[in-house]
Amino acid sequence: MPGQLQVSAARPYGGAGSVSPVESIHEDTTAKWFLLSAVSYFFIVGIIALTIAAKFVWPQLLGTVSLLTYGRLRPLHVNGMLFGWLLAADMGLVYYIVPRLCGVKLWSEKLGVATGILWNVIILSAVVALPMGFNKGWEYAELPTPISILVVVAWVMFGINIFATIASRKYEQMYVSLWYIMGTILWTAFVYLTGNFAVLVTTGVNQANLNWMYIHNAVGLIFTPVGLALAYYFIPRASTTPLYSHKLSMVGFWSLAFVYVWTGAHHMLHGPISQWLQTIAITFSLMLLIPVWTVVYNFFATMKGQWYQLSENVPLKFLMSGVVFYLLTCFQGPMHSLRSVNAIVSKTDWIPGHAHMAVLGAFSFFAIAGTFYTIPRLFRTELHSAALANWSFWFFMIGGLGFFVTLWLGGFWQGWQWNNPAIPFIDTVKALKPVWTVRFFSGILMFLGITTFLYNIWATVLDAGSKTSANA
Amino acid sequence: MLGKTDKSAVGFVVAALVFFFIGGLLTTVVPPLVDKSWSQPFENNDPSKGPTGKLVPLNDQQLKGRAIYVREGCWYCHTQQTRTLLSDVKRSGWKGVDSPISTPDEFVYDTPHMFGTKRTGPDISRVGGKYDRQWHRTHFRNPRDLTPGSVMPPFPWIADNPEEFDALVAYIQTLGRCKNWRPDNDYEK
Repeated sequence: MPGQLQVSAARPYGGAGSVSPVESIHEDTTAKWFLLSAVSYFFIVGIIALTIAAKFVWPQLLGTVSLLTYGRLRPLHVNGMLFGWLLAADMGLVYYIVPRLCGVKLWSEKLGVATGILWNVIILSAVVALPMGFNKGWEYAELPTPISILVVVAWVMFGINIFATIASRKYEQMYVSLWYIMGTILWTAFVYLTGNFAVLVTTGVNQANLNWMYIHNAVGLIFTPVGLALAYYFIPRASTTPLYSHKLSMVGFWSLAFVYVWTGAHHMLHGPISQWLQTIAITFSLMLLIPVWTVVYNFFATMKGQWYQLSENVPLKFLMSGVVFYLLTCFQGPMHSLRSVNAIVSKTDWIPGHAHMAVLGAFSFFAIAGTFYTIPRLFRTELHSAALANWSFWFFMIGGLGFFVTLWLGGFWQGWQWNNPAIPFIDTVKALKPVWTVRFFSGILMFLGITTFLYNIWATVLDAGSKTSANA
Repeated sequence: MLGKTDKSAVGFVVAALVFFFIGGLLTTVVPPLVDKSWSQPFENNDPSKGPTGKLVPLNDQQLKGRAIYVREGCWYCHTQQTRTLLSDVKRSGWKGVDSPISTPDEFVYDTPHMFGTKRTGPDISRVGGKYDRQWHRTHFRNPRDLTPGSVMPPFPWIADNPEEFDALVAYIQTLGRCKNWRPDNDYEK
């Protein structure tokens, strides 16, 4: 079969003392740096997330301190989760996957570690700058320009390392994860430049159009392809089942490459932007179903006859629930872009429900699965506690569903109320208070998921350290 | 053709960029060249063509107020766009007068744009002139004193800083005013 992963016996949580000669060529210092700092930021930014959720329930909370006001913590939450946790975890896992799919060492471990240090400098500067009110004023692109420049430098360093590794590969044929990773590196570069630098020289609607091209594709052409690269690698690995179809994965990849970038203007439906551009965005948004459904079909078909494995295999649980969330969130997206649906859900609390299902429910689940799978292997040990990993899964799952579902119901209700101008706006705010309370308590569950995940990963790493020193 | 790209990294890179740039250029670079209303400031002296008025750039104080609006993240909860929906036109209206919809030519001097994506609070694209200085001062000290049930944070560090407070109010009073849609219904009159 072309383009298949070599699969070996199932070991969902690694295995001490079973390092094959093929594995032993990898140093993986970079992957470790990225993963451990990503997991730590996940926890730190989780505290911010919970704080801003609490502010919806108790609006006076920490309200008289300018550094801790909602409008300054929200960008810290968004940027911290997107860049400090998710993208860093994705990059760490890419540093793990690519050398293995190419059968060679990472091109430069030194360059990789330097990239990891620079990434930490970026995140720590953001943690200082955003609460102080240094905010460029564009969603997802809030980071002050000097920090954005560092992001570009780090991305180029990452790209050089990965492309040089791929160029020196031993296997001619590139597995589908490699295409998604290369696509991510190339597209991210242009999407990020558009969203952070092209906006500087434009104004008004023209600028908004570039900003929304960036916002949309930060998810669509950064987190989606790198997330799918992880799913394409870890689903066959964690289940030791070959991928169902190489050809189908090509259809999914090239349709994603073509369709995604057209849809930015669907964030401004009914707004002050040309109608014909709105119609183009709607048309292409509907076409998004093609790459999504082909990918999801491929994953489900891979799992055919293998679903029983989910009961004992936490990485696989995260992966396949992530696939279901991906299917759902990518069904919502095209539906929101229909003018009639958009008139109800746009700008409501439905949208954070949708966005969290994509970024937490789908892409963070893939990254968590990858972290659980790789950390024991990177440190040549077993996971600290498989039972605790299962607890993390259920905290995330129940907290996540509580968050998504209440915000959809609440947001839809809110949209209906807005469309009746006889209802004063403030009444539509009061109506959502129970929804925000449930969201806060769901957030506590999700935070428990993060905390147990962090503890499990660090305990694994520290256990490995003490074992090594005991043996020495 | 694409079947070969899983063996050739160079072929892959070229194809991935071509696919991306077709849509990328057609939806970002081309639209402002086609639709001139994106770059031409609003000006209308003919009442038969809709509301009259002229868009003028903000002065220094108003720009300072705008920077505070950006800094405090007001735009995470307040949109600035009256959409082509009946409920938006009614909700942005004032004292029985419907608001005109927002058009691209009202925003050509805006940077960063403040259209927003979420309405935790009401849209404020036409809020200019609706509430006076004293209202805003009380509201920034504690929004719940004026609007029970509001979840807006208090902003004492702005309300108690005369220079920042004046700048922010000056900016808010410009919002939506380039179209003269309710000249006789101002709080000032």
